Amino acid sequence: MAGPYEIFVLIKQVPDQGSKAGLNPDGTIDRAKAKRMLNPFDRYALQAALHVKRTYGGRVTAISMGPPPAVEILLEALEHGVDRGFLLSDRRLAASDTLATAYALYKTVTHVGKFDLIFCGLQTTDGDTAQVGPQLAERLSLPQVTYCEDFHLDDGRLHARRIIEGGVQFVDCVAPALITVANSYHPLAYKSFRGAWRVQQLQRNPEELGKYIRTVDLDIIQADPERCGLKGSPTIVAATEKVGELGGNCSMYEGHAPDEMVGELIEKSNLKEFLVA
Amino acid sequence: MSTRIEYDVLLVGGSPSNLTLAYHLLDLAKASGKELYICILEKGKEFGSHIMSGAVSNPHVLQKIWPNYKEIGFPIEATCTESNFSVLGTEKKWDMPSFAYPKSLDKTGYLVLTLSYVTGWMAMQVQEKAKEVPNVTVDLFTGFAAHKVVFEEGRVVGVAVTENPKSEEDYVYGKFITFGDKGFISRDVIDHYKLRDCPQIWSVGVKEVWQCNESYEGKVWHTLGWPLLDGTFGGGFVYGMKDNKITIGMVISLDSHDPNMNPQQKLQDYKKHPWIQSMIKGGKLLKYGAALLPEGGYYSLPKKFAVPGALLLGDALGVLDVKHLAGIDRSMECGYVAAEVLHDALVKGDYSEEALAPYQQRLTDSFVIKESYNDRYFRWAFMENSRLLADYVPTIAKSIDNSSPFMGMLQIGLKNPFRAIGDGIRSLSLIEGMKDIGPIKYKPDYQHIIPEFVTPKYDEPPYDKTTIYSRPDAVFYASTKYHEGNLHIDEYNADVCVKCIGKYEGLGKTTPCVADCTAEVHRIDIIADVRRHGMSLENCVHCRTCEIVCPEVNLRVKPTEQGSGPDFMGL
Repeated sequence: MAGPYEIFVLIKQVPDQGSKAGLNPDGTIDRAKAKRMLNPFDRYALQAALHVKRTYGGRVTAISMGPPPAVEILLEALEHGVDRGFLLSDRRLAASDTLATAYALYKTVTHVGKFDLIFCGLQTTDGDTAQVGPQLAERLSLPQVTYCEDFHLDDGRLHARRIIEGGVQFVDCVAPALITVANSYHPLAYKSFRGAWRVQQLQRNPEELGKYIRTVDLDIIQADPERCGLKGSPTIVAATEKVGELGGNCSMYEGHAPDEMVGELIEKSNLKEFLVA
Repeated sequence: MSTRIEYDVLLVGGSPSNLTLAYHLLDLAKASGKELYICILEKGKEFGSHIMSGAVSNPHVLQKIWPNYKEIGFPIEATCTESNFSVLGTEKKWDMPSFAYPKSLDKTGYLVLTLSYVTGWMAMQVQEKAKEVPNVTVDLFTGFAAHKVVFEEGRVVGVAVTENPKSEEDYVYGKFITFGDKGFISRDVIDHYKLRDCPQIWSVGVKEVWQCNESYEGKVWHTLGWPLLDGTFGGGFVYGMKDNKITIGMVISLDSHDPNMNPQQKLQDYKKHPWIQSMIKGGKLLKYGAALLPEGGYYSLPKKFAVPGALLLGDALGVLDVKHLAGIDRSMECGYVAAEVLHDALVKGDYSEEALAPYQQRLTDSFVIKESYNDRYFRWAFMENSRLLADYVPTIAKSIDNSSPFMGMLQIGLKNPFRAIGDGIRSLSLIEGMKDIGPIKYKPDYQHIIPEFVTPKYDEPPYDKTTIYSRPDAVFYASTKYHEGNLHIDEYNADVCVKCIGKYEGLGKTTPCVADCTAEVHRIDIIADVRRHGMSLENCVHCRTCEIVCPEVNLRVKPTEQGSGPDFMGL
């Protein structure tokens, strides 16, 4: 089976790391106030999905789970060239851990339809578990390539390079498959003006926009609410502790040539201890 | 094959002038029912992130467009209740009596503004207004700059929205295009139609916003003297804002003779003055930024304000008035007039150059050009007679520290009575526009540089070191953020830079680009024993000073892509 491929990409909206707004005094995130952004790891997954579409042909569907504002990242995905988006949004999903999330996404993916490839980011910047992709693959009984940093497709066969400790591993598998894309893959190309323009036109026409972005809930995807949200999450957060103020001393080394400055750095720091002669 | 995207009006730059234009156009179209497609391009990642100004502004134009601006959340930092014009010695400050300085410097009743917030607010108003006017479509694009102007058959028809356009997809077109930028792209239009005989001259504004322990709300100071005692045109300003915040800034002309005039460090010297020290002691720096101001005024205006298919507004035109220290209201007036002219033309379906002619006529009849004409010799008065800034101001500044400013004036008078009186009469009559000496022509700023210039040394007053920031540290407070692979400053010829570096090294100095940079971008690298010009572009705050001061005209600062650049929100 060669192209065109039916490509899914799973993306998530996370609090903007760059903004200090929206932090509670105890250091936890106030999600209502925090600025929001597309999970930076998902940008690589999005790039991978769009790369497949552009190289081999196909259609890219972005799937996300989150509160209604998460539609922003689906719009952003459309600007980048994704063909359609699905948002799973349901109050009953609040406080889902990875097990419950993977279940809900599994139901969403099966609801959306047939696919050849699913791309996921490595992890999120707000949860940092890197579990949802692999769990979803297990639920879908798919071969999975995690930490994938390069790949190509050859008549429906996926040849991938994945990162392992101390080196890389080359693996092959047959589509359909799930790939979690490492952040050593190509960064997401900037959105095109044409894409941004198209989304502006769509946003003015809710009816038309509805053809491209669909919001679904647990009833539509026929998921068991008992297995979602807090009820479906065996993980217990016992306590969170705030790490003290970060900081340190900074020294500036000034000079006109790299060797000058590097020399000074080596001289004045403990780097010497780590240098092999 | 994709079709062209064409709007009725394409606004280049999310400036106060363009946003005023868009808003007023919406107003007019609401009344007329004219169907319109409007597009605004802004290179910053949001409206306001690449704009900064002093700013204390006369709200008269604002009032025309938003009569109820105070009730609808227009961001005001303070209303000026106390306006001072002061001369600084190294230790003391002398507030001039109000009769002794031009009335244009009295800002009582004006608004102290954070222009980035104002711009953001205006963009929001445009978006909200568009919802009320179904016959008008407004598309706002942030993170897209105009990189190249497209000319077709002698007419401006569109712009490229990427640095390296590959296909029709990378262009956007407009039946009319309005340029409200600071010259990043409008200079191409001006050059293409050869509109400027007299070059534009520039100043750089550097400013910091501080959180203080006390409130100075409504107090405004404009200062002469320290730390500009070497003949460079410029001055400082301090504006008190709400929530115990103050703005401290300097505007320094780039026609300085000093090849190593570091604006950011001049601002630090300014802050060392005991008067400012007393305000910022125990305070906290919140933001830093820098931007250029077009100062040429009347004689640097383009011959035509409109070319086939396009209008020039605000700083693209150069309507800032140095004598009045005002630019925002003038820019907004440009937008206001442009909206009416464009609306008339669009309703008539007349896309000719003649249809745009009323724009220049109406501006010429308005306060914008009238006042600019009155103040046409203001900068020239200081340029033709270097004694004013290089001799008289330092003498008075010194006497403020030692005895009284009047001693300094007496000293000047006694030294050469005839010359002092003659200078006084001529300069005052030029400044007030009472004497006509015909058209003038400025030299480009970089031609004023004297490589051998020796800066006078002054004893610095004692100061608190924690309130002073090095240039790399200051950049942190400009929150610059760039995409990978950013290359927004062109260096035309590396060998020219090597020669220039050698020349200044021989004088024990560094090059103007390295010294004058407001953000630690330019540097000298030694590669294979050759001193070469290098750039840390990730620090750049887009002020364009390097381009203006480069003695070899070897640099060009281009708009950045992908919304990269500083974040001036709060400046």
